Amino acid sequence: MGTHVGGYSSENSTMLFHTWPFAIFLLIVLPVFFALRKTRLWLPWLTVASYFFYGWWNPYYLFLVLYSTVLDFSLVALMDHCPHGGQKVDVRARLTRLRFEDRVLKFAFVGATSAAAGILGLALAGPKTLRPTMAALGVLVLLMALGALLSSRRIWLLISLVNNLALLLFFKYARFVVENLNAVFASHVALKLPDPSTLMPFGFEYLLPVGISFFTFQSLSYTIDFYLGNVQRERNFLRFATFVCFFPQLMAGPIERARHLLPQFRQFPPIRLQNFTDGASLFLVGLFKKLALANYLSFYVERMYDNPKAHGAAALILATAAFGWQIFFDFSGYTDMARGVAKLMGFHLILNFNNPYLATGLGDFWSRWHISLSTWFRDYVYIPLGGNKHGTFNMYRNLFIVFLISGIWHGAAWTFFIWGTLHALGVMITRELERSAFYRTCVPRLMKQLGVFVFVSFAWIFFRAESLNDALLIVQRIFTAAWHDPQIPALMLGLVALVWLYEFLYESRLRNVLQTDFVRVGAAVFMVLYLCLCGSGGGTFIYFQF
Amino acid sequence: MSSPKTIEISETPFVNEVRLNARHWAAVFVILAIILVATPRLWKRLERFQTGPDYRIPYALSKDYWLYQRRLQRIAPTNVVVLGDSVVWGEYVLPEGTLSHFLQSGQPAMFVNGGVNGLFPLALEGLVRYYGGPLRGRKVIVHCNALWMSSPKADLRTEKEERFNHAELVPQFFPRIPCYKADLNHRLSAVVERNFPFSQWVTHLQVTCFGQKSILNWTLEEDGSDPPHYPNAYKNPFAQIRFAIPPEPADDPERGPRSPRHKPWSTTGTSGSPGEGTTRFEWVDLDESLQWAAFQRLVKLLESRDNDVFVLIGPFNEHIMAEENRPAFRRLRDGIVGWLAKNHVPYIVPATLPSALYADASHPLTEGYQRLAGELWSAAQFRDWLKRTRTAR
Repeated sequence: MGTHVGGYSSENSTMLFHTWPFAIFLLIVLPVFFALRKTRLWLPWLTVASYFFYGWWNPYYLFLVLYSTVLDFSLVALMDHCPHGGQKVDVRARLTRLRFEDRVLKFAFVGATSAAAGILGLALAGPKTLRPTMAALGVLVLLMALGALLSSRRIWLLISLVNNLALLLFFKYARFVVENLNAVFASHVALKLPDPSTLMPFGFEYLLPVGISFFTFQSLSYTIDFYLGNVQRERNFLRFATFVCFFPQLMAGPIERARHLLPQFRQFPPIRLQNFTDGASLFLVGLFKKLALANYLSFYVERMYDNPKAHGAAALILATAAFGWQIFFDFSGYTDMARGVAKLMGFHLILNFNNPYLATGLGDFWSRWHISLSTWFRDYVYIPLGGNKHGTFNMYRNLFIVFLISGIWHGAAWTFFIWGTLHALGVMITRELERSAFYRTCVPRLMKQLGVFVFVSFAWIFFRAESLNDALLIVQRIFTAAWHDPQIPALMLGLVALVWLYEFLYESRLRNVLQTDFVRVGAAVFMVLYLCLCGSGGGTFIYFQF
Repeated sequence: MSSPKTIEISETPFVNEVRLNARHWAAVFVILAIILVATPRLWKRLERFQTGPDYRIPYALSKDYWLYQRRLQRIAPTNVVVLGDSVVWGEYVLPEGTLSHFLQSGQPAMFVNGGVNGLFPLALEGLVRYYGGPLRGRKVIVHCNALWMSSPKADLRTEKEERFNHAELVPQFFPRIPCYKADLNHRLSAVVERNFPFSQWVTHLQVTCFGQKSILNWTLEEDGSDPPHYPNAYKNPFAQIRFAIPPEPADDPERGPRSPRHKPWSTTGTSGSPGEGTTRFEWVDLDESLQWAAFQRLVKLLESRDNDVFVLIGPFNEHIMAEENRPAFRRLRDGIVGWLAKNHVPYIVPATLPSALYADASHPLTEGYQRLAGELWSAAQFRDWLKRTRTAR
């Protein structure tokens, strides 16, 4: 799907929530964590466990997460030494006599300037394999020197943004950009950009570090929130490092905010029986979603999407709908397990999915689907762009930009670009529809829900297809191919129908039926037995590649 | 600077009602414990399992170790179990053409075919260790097949990954098997299954009712036609459960004198396969052999379980071997014999059969088994071993 997924290509390096290695990991981490509750060591233990968890996938990428953490921690510390608002700075005095009002900034300026000289020297005359990395680092350190010189909070924020987005751009999008530019250049100029893999230091393999989109966004939210005055500076590095790499949510979110998660690491969480029962409940539901539902659906989807030419319209429609459920079960299953594991330790992670296929509009859908990402884009892109404050046109422009970025966030391919565009259009259309009294009052809720599901499923075609050509072929065949027997397993249909029915009941007046002891215990017993009898062992999570 | 906004750390929200309290979880544990413990036991009573005197675990059920254990539980205390790989099981022959059948020799149902197709010493050790509990205290004949030491690859000592049968039975961590590259999760799953009867029963269900597939994969099974057809898509999986162990096919076209595979090895030379004296084996050093070490552990394990062990070595098809290979083979065989003698384990090294009585390097044909059984019966050490009581050892 778009990008080559790295870091977990080797079968030996997988530690997923639904595997035995993770069970053993947790069986070691949890008791030690509780045993250390009366000491100061519980936090370092959590940090070590988180780094071990991430390093298990690919130890080399530990450097990356550590680098990102150290840099953002330092940048916020330096930002804290800069005055709020504008302040006149005597640049000449600072440059000629090193006269700084703040010793930390003076130290930062001297340090960054000297480091920049050394690093740029390496970029010019160092080992060839190191030169590109050193050049990029040199520019960043020069910017840091400038930040110290001008005592500018804005420049520190800019460095954090540039650094985190550059990491994302390089590892996730560079190849896509280079390939597309080379394709354009090929017909116009005699220029060929080198493959990004040639820029890797020491010849390291060019792979997408698992979870990079999540931990960079999480780390970035801290610097932005500090800049905006929404969060206090965290002075304990271990606490901040744990916030960035907290193992339950490191790989695929939910993307936590500093003001929600960081305070939880200030003291050992209270040990309550409810943490265990709630954590186990969340984990069981997540496990069931992943192993019993997502993996099962994936077989059917894969079969159809791998060879769309061989299948008729009905099969492709059902496979597309099945993918909608697959990705929901897969991603929300991961999130449930992440929240469950965190809860076992007494930590609360935010809700990331809220029965999205019961949404009555596209806006409603995005307030239920991948909530932590939606709110991230709302707070750090949509609102800074002006949100809905400057008229309808600007609001729709802002929405369009947000959904376009959201699409590209998911992967470096034109299919994700189209997926984002479709959702932008969908949100605009439903917003307009919702303005009309007829739509609001006369169209039945169920019809709106089905409409959203059909639209979202249609958009998933572009998300799931291997290439743009495949996506277009699937769309074409859905409308033109014959209606053969789709041969979808009845058991699969039954399971999805059961889940959908459960969700409908949950949001209906009959919810109290689901709250009875009999249904709760029965559901848990059913899920465990079903997992024992039918669980399909492996399979990584779809969202690990983003 | 205005004080930063903080959000209250609220309770973990749920978006479903599967939120169990301690009382609920206690109920779930009790119900599950009852189901998980009772189901395999109850299943043994409900499922028909018919075994005759020459019964062997059908080829298609080779990986059903739960069934193997059940099979051993049904054997009378006086019976002698013959353990081994496909040589004991009878790769080219019908149940009535195996070694255990010809060993009966007027003593019906005394010898039991405990062979499993596709086994090798490393896996046989695992089979006996984890599923062979019911063998405790019995007389056991263990077949030692030198084929598994005929090359580093057969000995599973090569570093290149090899896929082999019964990987769930081999040691998952120690001793290390270099060519076994399963991921940690797979290895741990194998360890869990060995110790969790319900999981073994689930595998049994998959093997006997769902063509060795998980129930979900069974619903997705493809019949290989073009355009693709999925025959089980609309079938009810529960209807597959028939409470009866499928028997071995009555007229197995792959085995028995009427099968095209049941032909003397010496004639295969003309069809392109190596002929008389042409195969060069890379016999491994016995001291370094993983398979031999597993065989030694197996014998010790059986003895520790109060089994009376008799080892049958070969007979390997020496006709197939290149002349320069034979000294190395004999040194290996002598090494095996030396260890057995040193450890006071009764054994026999039957003479090599005529080449026409082999199907390949180690599997005899029906007549070969018959002759082998005859040789065993004529050997005093075998008869003495059979006669002796356990205390006489």
